[in-house]
Amino acid sequence: MKPLSRPGLWLLLTALLLAGAALSLAVGPVRDPSGWLILRLRLPRVALAMLAGSSLAVSGCVLQSLLRNELATPYTLGISAGAGLAAGTLILLQSALPGIVFMIAGSAGALVAAAAVWGLARAGGGGDVRILLAGSTVNLVGASLLMLIEFYSPSSRLVEIVRWMMGDLSAVDATAPLFLVPFVLAGMIVVALRTGTLNQLSMGDELAATRGVRVSLESNLLLAAASLMAGGVVGAVGPVGFVGLIVPHAMRRLAGSDYRILVPASAMGGMILLLLADVISRVVASPAEIPIGVVMSLAGGPFFLALLLRDARGGRP
Amino acid sequence: MISDMSFSLREGELCGLLGPNGSGKSTLLRTILDIGPSWSGSVRICGLDSAALGRLERARKVSFLPQEYNIASRLTVRETVLLGRHPHRPPWQGDSEEDLEIAAECMAMTGVESLSGRSFAELSGGERRLVMLASALAQQPKLLLLDEPGSSLDFRHAVDLWVLLDRLAAAGLTILASTHELNTAARFLDSVLLLEGGVCRAFGTPAEVCTPELLGSVFGVALEVRPDGGGGILVIPAVGGSS
Repeated sequence: MKPLSRPGLWLLLTALLLAGAALSLAVGPVRDPSGWLILRLRLPRVALAMLAGSSLAVSGCVLQSLLRNELATPYTLGISAGAGLAAGTLILLQSALPGIVFMIAGSAGALVAAAAVWGLARAGGGGDVRILLAGSTVNLVGASLLMLIEFYSPSSRLVEIVRWMMGDLSAVDATAPLFLVPFVLAGMIVVALRTGTLNQLSMGDELAATRGVRVSLESNLLLAAASLMAGGVVGAVGPVGFVGLIVPHAMRRLAGSDYRILVPASAMGGMILLLLADVISRVVASPAEIPIGVVMSLAGGPFFLALLLRDARGGRP
Repeated sequence: MISDMSFSLREGELCGLLGPNGSGKSTLLRTILDIGPSWSGSVRICGLDSAALGRLERARKVSFLPQEYNIASRLTVRETVLLGRHPHRPPWQGDSEEDLEIAAECMAMTGVESLSGRSFAELSGGERRLVMLASALAQQPKLLLLDEPGSSLDFRHAVDLWVLLDRLAAAGLTILASTHELNTAARFLDSVLLLEGGVCRAFGTPAEVCTPELLGSVFGVALEVRPDGGGGILVIPAVGGSS
């Protein structure tokens, strides 16, 4: 599939984003003719879905450039596991904390996990495969520690942790989007100023260095930005998988692989995807809601496999 | 590991870097670029101390064609060539008309303009080398460092490559290229730097350096060197094998 023209791309993504936001505002079990309740309940949720979707998708983009591997995501690098472990520990200790505390814990956990993966890989002589292996290891260790926490949790807390681990936009309070904004904004600014650098790094560190890129500094900054955003989201809504994998993959088809276009396109694509997933989570078992993390895993997995099969038939790598 | 090395190239000189595998050719190129292992000494580019140049200023003066890069990149050929414009603009800025013109010129020079819309990952190894050379040229350097530029190229493209390098050198670009294709390259080279075990064994004109004795002793094989009738030389294994 040939990438769309720039005006066509932005027009399509803007139309889909507006449609997704309108749908998300309109659909749900609560009927309120005045609209006040809907705006109070659903507007923060729309904002949260957009912030979380764009953050996870852009984090995926950044990691894929740094590792020159389209399978790299906040999950494969252990960043989500670090965030999950930190936020899960906090729930065990004291769940009645303001949402921002979980976001700070999530980001801190993500940064520690990212630093550990990066450090382990560098200590082992570097290399993209080593980083992915180190990420898988940190992922497994983080998941095991979280299970240990669950094992020793009282049953009331256990329910909270398990519910949070499913990824859920409905379980957070209306102020969550406001608290999440600084995390997303800081990460997005760092990435937006470095989209050309992402292009250089995607061709190889050595080549990027000869073109004037401070490879170590820029890689660390970009990794920190991706961790901050993904960790903040995991702290706010729990782990929501596949966004960082599916969105950049789909956007490469629509927008091409130039990160100066791919990053903003993925940000919009992530918003659209989570808005739609949130609508699905509200309607499939209405009036009950199923967690958005479950929707993303159930719908995202087959969708991604279908994309891979289509690529294979089309001869794409 | 390289040691005890001192040489200078004049403006517009096309110099071949010769030596057996592991003799330090790539390390020397990385040292000039200051991207290799730590080292002591000084490199002067256009009369200026390289260490005192900012990273972007150095990137505007020196460009590099490495042997290794991400061959799975999905950037198009044109986008890949435009990466060479990085030192000339802020990293978030789009491509200017000037950038696009320079990229088109460089693609035309290396003969890859017909591939401009193709994905880099879908190209053959030889096509990728030419695209990466175009990208290095788009940097508009004063000094061009090439690590085995002719590897993966078929005979015609290898000859075209050296003709192009000769033309660029005549236009004032200084070029240092490591190569194993002496027979193709020799007639175009102004000088040859011969390395062995990280040490400079000889530096001079091809006629001075490419002698059977010197090449034979460095490469560890008995060689004959004959004029090729066109201003170059032919280096062929002598009957009998190792020296």
